[in-house]
Amino acid sequence: MNPAASVLLLTTATGFGYGLLAWIGACAALGSLPPARASMLVLAGVGIALLLASVGLAASMLHLGRKARAWRAFSQWRSSWLSREAVASVLAYPVAIAFAVTAARDGEGVWTRVLGLAALAVSLGTVLCTAMIYASLKPIRQWHNAHTAPDYLIYAIFSGAMLFALIRTVMAGAPGAVAGVAACAAAALALIAKWAYWRHVDAQTPLATLVEAIGLPAGTGAKPLDAPHFTENFVLREMGFVIARRHATRLRRIALLIGFVLPLAFSVLASVRLFPLAAATLAVVSAGLGLFIERWLFFAEATHVSALYYGRGI
Amino acid sequence: MPQSTVTCTTCYMCACRCGIKVHVENGRLRYIEGNRDHPVNRGVLCAKGSAGIMTAISPARLTAPLKRVGPRGSGGFERISWEEALAIVTSRLGAIRASDPNRLAFYTGRDQSQSLTSYFARMFGTVNYAAHGGFCSVNMAAAGLYSVGGSFWEFGEPDWEHARLFLLFGVAEDHDSNPIKLGLARLKARGAKIISVNPVRTGYSAIADEFVPITPGTDGLFVLAIIHCLLEAGKVDAEFLVRYTNAHHLVIDAPGEADDGLIARDAAGRELAFDRASGSLVDAHTVGTDPALLGEVALPDGRHARPAFALLAQRYGGPEYAPEAVADRCGIEAAAIRRIAAEIAEVAFNHPVVLDQPWTDTAGRRHATMTGRPVAMHAMRGISAHSNGFHACRAIHVLQMLLGAVDTPGSWRYKSPYPKPVPGGPPPGRSGGPGVPLDAPPLGFPVKPEELLVDEAGEALRLDGAFSWEAPLGIHGLMHMAIARAYEAGPDRVDTLLLFMANMAWNSAMNPGETTRMLGECDEFGKYRIPFVIVADAFASETVAYADLVLPDTTYLERYDCISLLDRPIGSAHGPADAIRVPVLRPDRDVRPFQDVLIELAGRLGLPGFTDDRGLPLYSSYADYMVRHERKPGVGPLAGFRGADGNAIGSGAPNPRQLESYARNGGFWAHELPAGQLYFKHANQAYLAGAKAMGLIEDDGQIVLQLYCETLQRFRLAAAGHGAHRPPHRLRARIREFFDPLPLWYVPLEEALSDRARFPLHAITQRPMAMYHSWGSHNAWLRQIMPQNRLYVHRDLAAGLGIRDEDWVWVRSRNGSVRCQVRTMSGVNRHTVWTWNAVGKRTGAWALRHDAPEFRRGFLLNHLISEYLPRSGGDTPGSNSDPVTGQAAWFDLTVSIEPCAADAAAETAPRMGANPLRIRPASEGTR
Amino acid sequence: MTMLPKSAPGARRLGLVIDLDTCVGCHACAVSCKEWNGGGEAGILPDYDKYGAEPDGVWLNRVHSYETEGEGCSRTVNFPRSCLHCEDALCVTVCPTGASYKRAEDGIVLVDTDICIGCKLCSWACPYGARELDEDEGVMRKCTLCVDRIYDESLPEAEREPACVASCPARARHFGDLADPKSEVSRLVEARGGLEPLAKLGYRPTNKYLPPRRTTIPVQPAKTREPSGRGIGAALLGLLDKALSR
Ligand SMILES: Nc1nc2c(c(=O)[nH]1)N[C@H]1C(S)=C(S)[C@@H](COP(=O)(O)OP(=O)(O)OC[C@H]3O[C@@H](n4cnc5c(=O)[nH]c(N)nc54)[C@H](O)[C@@H]3O)O[C@H]1N2
Ligand SMILES: Nc1nc2c(c(=O)[nH]1)N[C@H]1C(S)=C(S)[C@@H](COP(=O)(O)OP(=O)(O)OC[C@H]3O[C@@H](n4cnc5c(=O)[nH]c(N)nc54)[C@H](O)[C@@H]3O)O[C@H]1N2
Ligand code: SF4
Ligand code: SF4
Ligand code: SF4
Ligand code: SF4
Ligand code: SF4
Ligand SMILES: [Mo]
Repeated sequence: MNPAASVLLLTTATGFGYGLLAWIGACAALGSLPPARASMLVLAGVGIALLLASVGLAASMLHLGRKARAWRAFSQWRSSWLSREAVASVLAYPVAIAFAVTAARDGEGVWTRVLGLAALAVSLGTVLCTAMIYASLKPIRQWHNAHTAPDYLIYAIFSGAMLFALIRTVMAGAPGAVAGVAACAAAALALIAKWAYWRHVDAQTPLATLVEAIGLPAGTGAKPLDAPHFTENFVLREMGFVIARRHATRLRRIALLIGFVLPLAFSVLASVRLFPLAAATLAVVSAGLGLFIERWLFFAEATHVSALYYGRGI
Repeated sequence: MPQSTVTCTTCYMCACRCGIKVHVENGRLRYIEGNRDHPVNRGVLCAKGSAGIMTAISPARLTAPLKRVGPRGSGGFERISWEEALAIVTSRLGAIRASDPNRLAFYTGRDQSQSLTSYFARMFGTVNYAAHGGFCSVNMAAAGLYSVGGSFWEFGEPDWEHARLFLLFGVAEDHDSNPIKLGLARLKARGAKIISVNPVRTGYSAIADEFVPITPGTDGLFVLAIIHCLLEAGKVDAEFLVRYTNAHHLVIDAPGEADDGLIARDAAGRELAFDRASGSLVDAHTVGTDPALLGEVALPDGRHARPAFALLAQRYGGPEYAPEAVADRCGIEAAAIRRIAAEIAEVAFNHPVVLDQPWTDTAGRRHATMTGRPVAMHAMRGISAHSNGFHACRAIHVLQMLLGAVDTPGSWRYKSPYPKPVPGGPPPGRSGGPGVPLDAPPLGFPVKPEELLVDEAGEALRLDGAFSWEAPLGIHGLMHMAIARAYEAGPDRVDTLLLFMANMAWNSAMNPGETTRMLGECDEFGKYRIPFVIVADAFASETVAYADLVLPDTTYLERYDCISLLDRPIGSAHGPADAIRVPVLRPDRDVRPFQDVLIELAGRLGLPGFTDDRGLPLYSSYADYMVRHERKPGVGPLAGFRGADGNAIGSGAPNPRQLESYARNGGFWAHELPAGQLYFKHANQAYLAGAKAMGLIEDDGQIVLQLYCETLQRFRLAAAGHGAHRPPHRLRARIREFFDPLPLWYVPLEEALSDRARFPLHAITQRPMAMYHSWGSHNAWLRQIMPQNRLYVHRDLAAGLGIRDEDWVWVRSRNGSVRCQVRTMSGVNRHTVWTWNAVGKRTGAWALRHDAPEFRRGFLLNHLISEYLPRSGGDTPGSNSDPVTGQAAWFDLTVSIEPCAADAAAETAPRMGANPLRIRPASEGTR
Repeated sequence: MTMLPKSAPGARRLGLVIDLDTCVGCHACAVSCKEWNGGGEAGILPDYDKYGAEPDGVWLNRVHSYETEGEGCSRTVNFPRSCLHCEDALCVTVCPTGASYKRAEDGIVLVDTDICIGCKLCSWACPYGARELDEDEGVMRKCTLCVDRIYDESLPEAEREPACVASCPARARHFGDLADPKSEVSRLVEARGGLEPLAKLGYRPTNKYLPPRRTTIPVQPAKTREPSGRGIGAALLGLLDKALSR
């Protein structure tokens, strides 16, 4: 699949945003916000989360052929995960803002806890919708599988944790026990999830053969003779994207290192208070970079059944 | 509410002549659909036809008359007025006609107005006229017309309703594009078997039930081997042979004598046969006799003679024609050949088609039924485009005769206005000197040496060598030789080349590089060797760039045309038919229909037939000519709605309202023959009488099918030194060899002369279904389907050479090298490579952008082909053509392929310099 | 509304049946489709770089050709590819705007280009590559089954069929109601064993493809005989002994 920058930016940025919101919401719900700076933390966190979410949504607009009509995307929530994502992501704003305002007014009141819980729900919900857009696409085996949805949640929680830790560090000089441990755990989990995903897709067999694509009885072999046209067309540009194996494996290593291993390492450093600020910052930066590459691969390595008709491998 | 109109006219995105309905909305061309009532396409429309709306807006359309500025071929032109253009042509042609009319060479390509253009040439008085047939399919036309009085090509069609076995020889598309597809579908629906004999498995061959990947140039041998099997098994229709062919005619066996190999005749000149019933020699046409087909008889003069069939049986019964003997050559297993022969015999003789439809033959015999052999055949350029194509095609016709499968239910059928008495017309017209018309049409049908167009030395009078000993039956001319021969002959013999609708500097040129060099070359005084070139074209083709004067034509939706019975009509086995084109759009450019221009010129030149006795023009336009011109009393360009009341068919007085009638009838006229006239037309009394009444034929006698072609023997005897008209010495051996009255197979000339060790592969082309020669690449839709071509190579062959899909390779022949991209496949003869024809374009042509794939990756195989054969000995090389008909031997090409160096440019070669048209506005003085 | 309609009892399922046994790969259907939809009410199908290096455009129907190998089925197969108007059309349910929809009355899958936001998701959801984005208008295009022809009362009955069906010179394209077992198309599918491409993906395409066939003529070819020196088989001599009548 064609890794369009807009979509990559959308999914990574929203991942960070809603991930962070999820963490803050969770802490608020559990009442484990640092008493002294609770309201400050929530304000800052929600602010940053919504900023990132907005960046993501803006990017998603770029991807549309008819931006002015974007509002129509809210209508089909009953069947379309994309529509649901739109609804959820917009729903997140009032909830988050209410959450922040209440937190600012009455600190760790019961309402803050309730709204924190709501923020947690709506942010993870939005991420889940995004994930399901991909997970529900049958023609793409690398997306239509049991890993896609949990993975998206895990990466969101992970990237959110990195940010959460950074904010704590900025405010308190160190992530603190909760955020620190959470960050390390999330990073480790994400690392394992990505590794497991790649193992899974590498073990998959193509969804179909060319013979099945043209509906002929099995037992026949088929080779393409002539395509309907010589130059690339929409279907090939969008769904026939091919990436060299060697190139892919190299990128995978890089993504694994920058996206997960380094953030894990930096998180550990930050948690044990070795250059915490620098470490936490680096953790966020490299997680961001790494996840962007990971997302690029998630598209570039995904193959679409329709490419079969053009004799391209799936 | 859009203002919309629908007009019925005839498509011209190719030569198939389908009926179309053109929808125009608010003056804008909106949609073209097939005309469901039309006899040719019955409503269907091919890719090209549908893409017509894009051709109508092509940027390659010419916009005004042009006069060359700068060197010929540079593409530099100045816009001029029609008045100036016509004045230039009139004075030039006027001068030529007054001195030596033959110095005008007039060649027309894909047009459908040959009855007009050849009439112009005749009245002008030049023998140097031809249409595209010579490089196209003259082998089919000649072999057919000299054998059965009709032909494959456009003059015959399989009986789609009744055939049970259909053999398709070397056809990818053909002129009957849509009818053949419709027909194949009908065969499929009826569960008939389709066998495609073709080196390549695409298109029609793709859907064939059996694909026979024959080695190019060996069909004749394959067919003769089938005949061998039929003779062995005694599977011939003897009754059909004696009634409808000359199989029983007695052939004089007197080696060395002047009439050896001719048919024995009585005092009255009637052919003789031996009647086994009376045990005596009889007029071969006598009804009720029991003619001998074998044995030998003594003639009154004591010499001996044998029935033609006996000679045939002896030759093809011989071991050299056994499947086992030809298998390797043909690349077909002997067992397969025997099986196919058996299938043919099975269907022909065990499953005859019997229609209970009474009819009467020319012998006056009444038949209660029409009984036929449901084995149908069709063949085209796979047979035709080889230098042994005439005989290969004859072999197929002979096979049809042996089976009794000529115009019978289920077999191949004549399309009206055929059959015509063999060979189909008068001999070629001769010059009468300055200002005098030819005594007959320039293209004719010689049957004896004295009818050839040669001088005392026996050398060609025609520029292209047609009707000379180089190509005695060159009934369509040798268009592929025209430019080369004009160049050789020099200004004294040719002053002006007038090229109409032919891209002769490119895809119809053998060796475009050489051809364009000749067009551009000057003598030491800076005068062009070919003094003046006029091109009448509608688009910015490669050839237009080499014109001194360009006469811009309209597109097919902007003019009147007629698809005439006098030319290449749309008649079918069901009856005669013709059609018209009507203007649907008004030209938005300063262009004129070439036919109008030609008629205007004829008027200005005062040509007889186009002007009255006071020298005033007879016709105001082509439309006017279509209605009022009479070739002979009552017979004109259009056969329908004739006579004052518009009810006469075929023959009748001109009808001033004729065009309205055509328009009202959907743009065509079709006459349905009564059921009793639909078969056995060559011997069907009612049909022949009716055809004569309609003016389709002059004589309604039986048309005897020529199993044995005596005409060829006459030329051969001359080569043996008999008679006053003999070939020049250098050609005698060749005439002796190739003018065999029985079908012959020989290695194609070029192949025989080329070094097969160096060039082990055959190289051929096919028509792409969605492109018409060179004229599809400026169509925004069609070029998306095929903006470039590749060389198709058998997988194993490619693997052996380490060549993969998309690799660039060098294809080399004795004539040059072409760099192109490869596509591997398995459905191709292992010793054959092929590509789509005419897709590659010269940089700058067709108003495409400089970096178009047509220029950079598309290629022409023509660069590898030469119009001359390799020199054998010192003498001047012969033309790369069939020795009987002069048919261009495009498919005799042999090549080698090798991978390009890894660092070689991913681009085709050769790439001739870019010469896009650069047109400057009219300069002062020209209006 | 992009919920798939419950196909009401008796509702029609209009579609195409394409005969791979007769398709010669001529592209007529593709171009006539382009022509009809290029100028029809369905809107303009764009072309990009018309006369340049990368000619490209939106086509609702494209014709591939393949070579198949195998026992008795080695041949060239031409394969026209357009929307198959699936029963379980994921392209419809994923659409966030409702632009992509399937009609309850006849099962035709359409895009309402006045609503479409060009998010491309439907094209990702189509395994057959049957949807192409109009990059000029920013909306999705697909085969309309020529709704603007098949229901056009102003056309004569016989002409109310898709442009590609009307034009197909090999009569390889058939249009009709596949819900009606008695329709010509259903009979064809029944008789010829109509196939569904990518059946295992479960989209339940309405369009069907008829597989290639191979007709044979049973014979026992004559064994190689020693051709008699005079080149005439004994059988032939026998045949020609019989009296003929000219
Ligand atoms: N779409 C389209 N239609 C056209 C044209 C076009 O350019 N485009 N051109 C028109 C014109 S002018 C003509 S003349 C006709 C020609 O129509 P066709 O007769 O179909 O001519 P080609 O396309 O050259 O196809 C020649 C076929 O013969 C095969 N062949 C080559 N050598 C041999 C051989 O030795 N033996 C056998 N058995 N087969 C062989 C080739 O593989 C090819 O399939 O088409 C007309 N119709
Ligand atoms: N290698 C190879 N070469 C071949 C062949 C092959 O099979 N292989 N086939 C040969 C055969 S059979 C043929 S017939 C020739 C065909 O070759 P050509 O006769 O050269 O035919 P086209 O390429 O169709 O070019 C015809 C010209 O007509 C022009 N034209 C189109 N429409 C109109 C119009 O309405 N009015 C006018 N005035 N002009 C118009 C086009 O612009 C083009 O310049 O090619 C031959 N060349
Ligand atoms: S075959 Fe196609 S291009 Fe040729 S006349 Fe018919 S519709 Fe037109
Ligand atoms: S028009 Fe008919 S024969 Fe031609 S490609 Fe389409 S389906 Fe095949
Ligand atoms: S073919 Fe593709 S576009 Fe058409 S209905 Fe099926 S899934 Fe949708
Ligand atoms: S591109 Fe248009 S039709 Fe397709 S899913 Fe998006 S909005 Fe719906
Ligand atoms: S049904 Fe209409 S829209 Fe669909 S492919 Fe055929 S012509 Fe095109
Ligand atoms: Mo031709």
